[in-house]
Amino acid sequence: MLHLLKVDLKKLTNYRTFWVVCGIYFITLFFVTASGMEVLKYVADRVEDFGGAINIHRIPLYHFPDVWQNLIWVAGFFKFVLGVMVIISVTNEFAYRTLRQNVIDGLSRWEFLQSKILTNAVLAGLSTVLLFLVALITGMIYSPELRFSEVIDDVEFFPAYFLQVFGYLSFALLMSVLINRSGLTIIVLMVARGLELFIIHKVVGVDVLNAFFPLESIEGLITIPFQRYVFMEVLDHPLLSTVLTASFWIFMFNYLAYLKLKKSDI
Amino acid sequence: METVLSIKGLTKNFGSLRAVNQINLEVKAGQVFGMLGPNGSGKTTTLGMLMGVVNPTGGEFTWFGQKPTHTVRKSIGAVLEHPIFYPYMSGQMNLEVNAMIKGASKESIDWVLDIVGLTDRRNDKYRTYSLGMKQRLAIGSALLNDPQVLILDEPTNGLDPMGIAEIREIIKKIAAANKTIILASHLLDEVQRVCTHFAVLRRGTLVHSGPIGDVGRGEETVEVVAFHDDLNHILMQFAGAMSVQKGNGNFEVKLREGFSAGDLNKFLFEKGIVASHLLTQKKSLEKQFLEILAEAGPENKKLR
Repeated sequence: MLHLLKVDLKKLTNYRTFWVVCGIYFITLFFVTASGMEVLKYVADRVEDFGGAINIHRIPLYHFPDVWQNLIWVAGFFKFVLGVMVIISVTNEFAYRTLRQNVIDGLSRWEFLQSKILTNAVLAGLSTVLLFLVALITGMIYSPELRFSEVIDDVEFFPAYFLQVFGYLSFALLMSVLINRSGLTIIVLMVARGLELFIIHKVVGVDVLNAFFPLESIEGLITIPFQRYVFMEVLDHPLLSTVLTASFWIFMFNYLAYLKLKKSDI
Repeated sequence: METVLSIKGLTKNFGSLRAVNQINLEVKAGQVFGMLGPNGSGKTTTLGMLMGVVNPTGGEFTWFGQKPTHTVRKSIGAVLEHPIFYPYMSGQMNLEVNAMIKGASKESIDWVLDIVGLTDRRNDKYRTYSLGMKQRLAIGSALLNDPQVLILDEPTNGLDPMGIAEIREIIKKIAAANKTIILASHLLDEVQRVCTHFAVLRRGTLVHSGPIGDVGRGEETVEVVAFHDDLNHILMQFAGAMSVQKGNGNFEVKLREGFSAGDLNKFLFEKGIVASHLLTQKKSLEKQFLEILAEAGPENKKLR
């Protein structure tokens, strides 16, 4: 297993595009999540009415335990960049026909897929760790007082976030294996969520079924937290049913990719 | 001799097209086995099935008497069609990836780079290599695990004469190390120079297989040049002449079995004619190849 991961990482770490795209992703992820409070302060300073109308220091955006869910929800927007990286990595293997050579050299098709799945897990893991550190540090800076029970409250969003990123990358992997062409696959990744929302609301239109759609279940792992600041109830933990649904789809994405690879002449 | 590869009834359909049709073949240890056939005769598809990248429609094959798993492939070195590497990586890095996949040692990288003469360019990006260097890197990569069997598919395709000579030298070096080599090519001269056995594929069907030594046996043709006005007529009188044809400034005499150029020379001398040129043409693989294809029937024959 570790051996397969090493093979794929060797391919990637010698690839400049990998460093550029991952650099963009992790740096943006870091700055956007870490700088929220400072940006608000800056805006409050510059815009006269803004600071007066709402006292930004009274919105506990970066207070424990809110900071966990807030940052994780924002971070969810950036996983598209990581999805693009996965698409480039996998479709390259088809474009260069290196998948073919890998198999000739003695990698089984399943081993090849495993190496890509493991890389997805590593990328999702790194995102989770980075976000945890950012949230921990910013939370400690901005929280008025630190109470252990509040700090550890809601940390269950981190496994959910890992699952969300990993699931999204699994989807990108499946699309790459099915489509093979990088440009087209990236476009599909861009429109897939919109298309699914269209189907959910305009074609099917049965609310109880919504949670069972693949991308919806993955997105549903992290619910929007910000309504709580206008005194609305928010879901402050991932639902078990959503976790199970998302896990099912993640399994299916990878399994279908396996079936496609196994069946095709490469 | 140990059987390296045994193929039984191997078949591949692409839609309604039968690319490979019921092939049976055995390759023994130490053979340099040439696979001949026109473009599109199913050579690469056959090799693709043997290397696990094309799923067979029917039939089976074994490597070293074992079922063909990906582990078995690690002990076979293969270059199919054209060299395939990651263009953004150096030759060295590409070989490191392949060595990891094959489970070959890092030292073997130095060794194969030396064999194919790429040690100086090892750290340059693969995309900067010339076609000849790419071919050599591919052969080097195939040698990484010190394989018992080497499969080369058109290894000299698109190379200049010097590149062809270099590849030929490498193949001879490897064959001398007692490795089994399967060489697909449509360059017959190439195959005749290096192979011990050969098979001919035509439209996916195996139409011939046997040792190269058989080629050249059988009837001979002798080229004759002599100053005589009626040479044609005199040659016809020779008892060993099956037929006489006027060639380009010479006559080509096809001999009956049991007669040689010496007999013809003696005959001419007795007639008072001195030949200024006498050359025995062995039947070339090229000629035999074309004959085999012609015997196999017209090109447009439907196979199914």
